[in-house]
Amino acid sequence: MRLLGIIDKKDSRLMLIQNKNNFFVEEESKEKFDNYELVKNRDAGIGNPMKNGEGVFNFRYGPVTAGVGEAGIFNICTYGEKMLSINIDTAYKQRNLEEKMIGKTPNYALALAESISGNFAFSHSLAFSRAIERLLRIKTNSTTQRTRIIALELERIYNHIHVISKLSNRAAQNVLTSHLEWIFEECLRINKVFGSSRFLKGINRIGGIDIKEDVNLDEILNRIKNVKSKFEDLYIHSLKSWNFVDRIYKTAVIDKKKAYSIGITGPSLRACGIACDLREYEGLYDNFSIVTKEDGDSLSRMEVRAQEILNSCDIIVSQIGNLGNQDSNSLDNQDNKQNTESDYSVGFAESPSGIIADYVEMKDGLINSVYISTPSVFGYKAFTDSAEGYIFTDFSFALDSFGINFADCAR
Amino acid sequence: MKPWAIYGITQKVTESFNKTKKDVKHISPVFRKSLHIFPIDAGNDNELNFEMSALSAPQYNIHRFGIFFTDSPRHADVLLILGKVSEKMVEPLRETINQLPEPFGIVIIENNEDFGISAKDLNLPNVIGYYAKKLEASEILSVLLNIMEDK
Repeated sequence: MRLLGIIDKKDSRLMLIQNKNNFFVEEESKEKFDNYELVKNRDAGIGNPMKNGEGVFNFRYGPVTAGVGEAGIFNICTYGEKMLSINIDTAYKQRNLEEKMIGKTPNYALALAESISGNFAFSHSLAFSRAIERLLRIKTNSTTQRTRIIALELERIYNHIHVISKLSNRAAQNVLTSHLEWIFEECLRINKVFGSSRFLKGINRIGGIDIKEDVNLDEILNRIKNVKSKFEDLYIHSLKSWNFVDRIYKTAVIDKKKAYSIGITGPSLRACGIACDLREYEGLYDNFSIVTKEDGDSLSRMEVRAQEILNSCDIIVSQIGNLGNQDSNSLDNQDNKQNTESDYSVGFAESPSGIIADYVEMKDGLINSVYISTPSVFGYKAFTDSAEGYIFTDFSFALDSFGINFADCAR
Repeated sequence: MKPWAIYGITQKVTESFNKTKKDVKHISPVFRKSLHIFPIDAGNDNELNFEMSALSAPQYNIHRFGIFFTDSPRHADVLLILGKVSEKMVEPLRETINQLPEPFGIVIIENNEDFGISAKDLNLPNVIGYYAKKLEASEILSVLLNIMEDK
């Protein structure tokens, strides 16, 4: 059981809870979850309280930096070397997109959901469209579902590559970084061949998916195979570079207990040795396996991502091969125990950095209430907790390994 | 596999680049051979930030044109404002512009459909280019090369 969100109602609060692939809401109870305060105050600031002591001051990093590259503030409590505590202000990126969906049509709201975070555009769009499809009882066919899987995995590949290239860049592995950046750009180009946008925007719609009519699947297949073989070479070689591995080994460690209490999901959770991935509940993944590592440090998180890139390439190859097949058991992962008579629904997707869950209520064909749970909220909390006690040079190795961003966190 | 240094030079990954004409003003002839850029995220949804990352990919190899990213606005010739400005970013944005050395230029890239304050309406100095649609990495490179063009 995991607490993903707290939904404010007129005179009460509801908790959005996940139990495997079952998502539901129930009455608020503060004692039940360790991350209650984090989820409740996700827009007020994430992190730990400031510390006092001789020579301790607040080093304010952001919102204009070349290092992080996104508008947000890190309040780092330090006496010059160690980071004693970190507190994050995400307000610089707040666009109140959930509020702007209220009273709008589902199609308009879908476009807003997509623009929460450009690099998780497809995951956000998929979670939102699934919520609406469920509410309106729209069934999707297996071709749509397989095409969605391909898009989701394409998104996963380029995000993971980006994370690893950032880590290697911070460790001054220039040759490795250049080649990973080549793969990153190549992945964006493959996205454009697939769906006319480099970030897979505007292709998903409610009840279906629009890819280019003349999409050249063979070309995508060959280019993905090339990406896979090139990445595999680079990755194996990179692990022999101790300059690189030493920087991320045992950096920003999270243990299993901590991971559960924060509620992180995605590769960061799997790097702590917990096999949890929403994709395992989807019927149409033919060759899916969950990757886990035990150490919970930056290296483990990178290893999980690297392995997932290779797996995602295989998934894409097999899905393209099966695209024409009409499966009789084409159940989307929507099929679970949630009460079908309820006036709300929850759609979800396994984004590159963890679970995205969208709680949606509709009235007279318009959106009445929305709550979007994003993986970056939990990721930032995990980052602030795990980076404490490390020195400044470990900052980017800790932060980048979580694959999180302010746009996703602040919405 | 060969050691990194050798692996690096055995692969040719840079592509030839054909710039397209973009509607952008020139700043000064001193930028004919080199241009230092600083991108600032004003509140975009991360897509433009990722395009800036893609711009440093070896396919484009921007260093051959003399284009470099700087780590501070104090070393920048061109400030790229990415996305519509969120309310809280207005002041940091103005302060960043104060820090730019003369002569400088500002290029605004945003998406009309996004929410926020358009940087066009903030009366910023030296705006040399405005784009109401998100640009891809190759288009951003064309814009920068157009700024550098000798006139």
